[in-house]
Amino acid sequence: MPTDTKRVRGPEVSQSPSLFLCKTAAKKSTASNDARVDGRQRGQVDVRSVFVRCGLISQAKGSAYIEAGNTKLICCVYGPRETERKDETDMKSGRLITDMRFAPFSCRERGSWIQGSDEKDLSLMLLESLRPGVCLQKYPRSQIEVNVMVLENDGAVLAHAVTCASMALADAGIEMYDLVLGCSIRQEGATYLIDPTFLEENGCNLASGSRENLGSLTVAFLPSLNQISGLQSDGEMGEDTLTGGVRTCIEGCFKLYPVIQQALSKAVRRKAPPSES
Amino acid sequence: MKHLLINLVSRGTEMNFVGFRSDVRTLDEPTWLTKNTMAAGFKTAEPLEYHRSFLKENCRPDGRELGEFRTTTLNIGSISTADGSALVKIGNTTVMCGIKGELANPPVDAPNKGYIVPNVDLPPLCSSRFRPGPPGERAQAASQFIADVIESSAVIQKEDLCIVKGKLCWVLYCDIMCLDFDGNLLDACLIALLAALKNARLPEVTVNKETEAPEVNLESRRSLNIHKHPVGASFIVFDDSIMIVDPTAEEESLSTATITVVTDEEERLCALHKPGGTSLSGEKLQNCISRATTRHKEVRKLIDKVIQSAKTPK
Amino acid sequence: MATVQVSEAEKVYILHGVRDDLRVDGRGCEDYRHMEIETEMVSNTDGSAKVTLGHTDVLVGVKAEMGKPRPMVPGEGYLEFFVDCSANATPEFEGRGGDELGMELSNTLYKVFNNRYSVDLKSLCISPGEHCWVLYVDVLLLQCDGNLFDAISVAIKAALFNTKIPKVHISEDEEGGKEIELSDDPYDCMRLNVENVPCIVTLCKVGHRHVVDATLQEKACSVASLIISVTRKGTVTCVRKVGGGSLDPESIFEMTETGKRVGKALHAPLMQLLQEEESLGKKRQKVGFLG
Repeated sequence: MPTDTKRVRGPEVSQSPSLFLCKTAAKKSTASNDARVDGRQRGQVDVRSVFVRCGLISQAKGSAYIEAGNTKLICCVYGPRETERKDETDMKSGRLITDMRFAPFSCRERGSWIQGSDEKDLSLMLLESLRPGVCLQKYPRSQIEVNVMVLENDGAVLAHAVTCASMALADAGIEMYDLVLGCSIRQEGATYLIDPTFLEENGCNLASGSRENLGSLTVAFLPSLNQISGLQSDGEMGEDTLTGGVRTCIEGCFKLYPVIQQALSKAVRRKAPPSES
Repeated sequence: MKHLLINLVSRGTEMNFVGFRSDVRTLDEPTWLTKNTMAAGFKTAEPLEYHRSFLKENCRPDGRELGEFRTTTLNIGSISTADGSALVKIGNTTVMCGIKGELANPPVDAPNKGYIVPNVDLPPLCSSRFRPGPPGERAQAASQFIADVIESSAVIQKEDLCIVKGKLCWVLYCDIMCLDFDGNLLDACLIALLAALKNARLPEVTVNKETEAPEVNLESRRSLNIHKHPVGASFIVFDDSIMIVDPTAEEESLSTATITVVTDEEERLCALHKPGGTSLSGEKLQNCISRATTRHKEVRKLIDKVIQSAKTPK
Repeated sequence: MATVQVSEAEKVYILHGVRDDLRVDGRGCEDYRHMEIETEMVSNTDGSAKVTLGHTDVLVGVKAEMGKPRPMVPGEGYLEFFVDCSANATPEFEGRGGDELGMELSNTLYKVFNNRYSVDLKSLCISPGEHCWVLYVDVLLLQCDGNLFDAISVAIKAALFNTKIPKVHISEDEEGGKEIELSDDPYDCMRLNVENVPCIVTLCKVGHRHVVDATLQEKACSVASLIISVTRKGTVTCVRKVGGGSLDPESIFEMTETGKRVGKALHAPLMQLLQEEESLGKKRQKVGFLG
């Protein structure tokens, strides 16, 4: 393994204490089957209430912070500035660059500073989801950088990253066709869990104890154009479950829409106070 | 739908301690300058002259006096996935520290000690001057500085981290991440580290006599023993002569030298960091140290207050 | 990815063709190009297959190695995917040029196999918590002519079908120490059940319709594609939107339906073909790379 000389190094191997949990205390299943651990109902479009704020980061062109349950994300947008890659054949439209990372302390198991392949995959999904919403042809020969940092991962990070990044883009004054909103669900038996927490996402609360993946789905949605800009699912599910899931996610996005709109208009008002005349 | 909105508003008010606090006092430029459109052009074209014109009047572009720190806010324990966490804002500069404990074998040369692994990261998110990829010079220097302060001040005695001599010990990963880079990184990192360490609670570990495997009880957690409280104060030298405390990123870029003084509660010097730059008279250095000791008291008070208010149920 | 430039007139021609269910090469919207499959191409792997789809050419090798099970699932083995975009396929992949695409492909493969049914991971376990089989699935792109995902998934299914994992026997000595013995007989091996291994169907939205197995020209006319991995029974294990554009919810529903239909229809002849080839045994005529 290559040694990292640019950081303060610790021991070669260290293990998370969660691997050594006392067996007696490990399993404590909640008796009631109806409500979820955080009190929401299964099978209902009951997204976690979100706290959103724009323009927190002074150095960035635009920034946004989102908090849904314990999931906390921050996003900064830099640019448009001159593109770094000169070899691009198509210079008529701008380039969108996304970078999504997890802070080392954001997950239950400590993560590495080095970007893993799942982070690269999430960055790519974020890019795919955002690109249809941004008027890139208005920014020829330039690039717009979107950086997302997950401060705490409590499930549905990709969905919230999409929402947060589109808010930051709007806050940066980048021209967009529409906001992009994200929503996730996880299928559990015959019912579904919308906006799942980390434990629900990993199937830890199943009574049977099996970590069966019955289907996880993330949708990125442009609400006023009624277009889906990003779609990703894994786990085995039937076609009707899938289409039903997509519909539920769209419904979830519409629940989020007014909250995001309100936060954005608040940010705009703060930036340019109405003229006193 | 309506209840979601109400929910949001009420969340917003209770956010002050659990999430971000952005209602920091805004320090505006003096009105005679902001009203003037010439001033903005002056600022970008001749930044040095622009700053000089303020310093001549013994004040700074953001309205502070030369020896004045920006408003410092702190909140702790907002990240539940970390064993301890803190978010510090000094003016615009925002730094977050998360502490995670893991289990490992103690070092061979010191079987009764544990590890503390501090790392500072400056992601491209915090400023346009940083690129993605491995840590740059700035981040490496900051990591090393924090490691040195931990080593020399003995915030935590590494012996405390040993669980079974030669067999098992704690590794404290102190990951410090800058979210908004507007100067004075080191001060913010130190406060974040100290507050996060004070906030940290490690689960109880016992070693099973038969299997010799560690057993972790997440229900009972203990806080760490903090032996010393190192707090830093940073200064820059402007035009080889004027000393300014708590510089912004712009001031840092115009400075001729920077200096960071770290003191503990007994007014003793833990670390002094002056990477290059113009020389400094002993008298000026003495001034820095005495300013650092008063700063220490202010920061201690802030940390204690925040920890106290986090303990009392809301 | 390898792309071609298409002029406006060509675009109109392709779009009109697709509208009338007649594509440039004479296919209908839901038809695949000619596909050739050959298994056991590389002798030093445990299973391998080469798939040619139009001019797209992929080689998949599967190697079984012994490893330690993941701590969270001690009773199961696991699969590792790696996609190598060699500069053979297109000069764009030279140096690190193919890394991004390789990462995208391998990450999608992880998602496709992220469920309990695709491969019986429990059968890969040797002794719980200590030893298991790790299947390294290495994909090599030899030529790119569109529709990489589908070709790769078919090749993986064929290679997994072809994979022979040696049987191991665990013996215990008096002190409780365990010893792993590998069977001496090279024919004494375990086969994987690949019935539930999904195939990927990529649907390209061209105009108002969508086409299966798009060529590079057709891909250049499309704004977005949907990758759907379908099992034999018609269940979906992974869906992913790729490409810069967005899709109407209704067209996504239509596309998943088509994907399901096409995918189901793909499985039966594929399995039949693989079994036929297997039954030929040594009499099978080898084609090789130059065939």
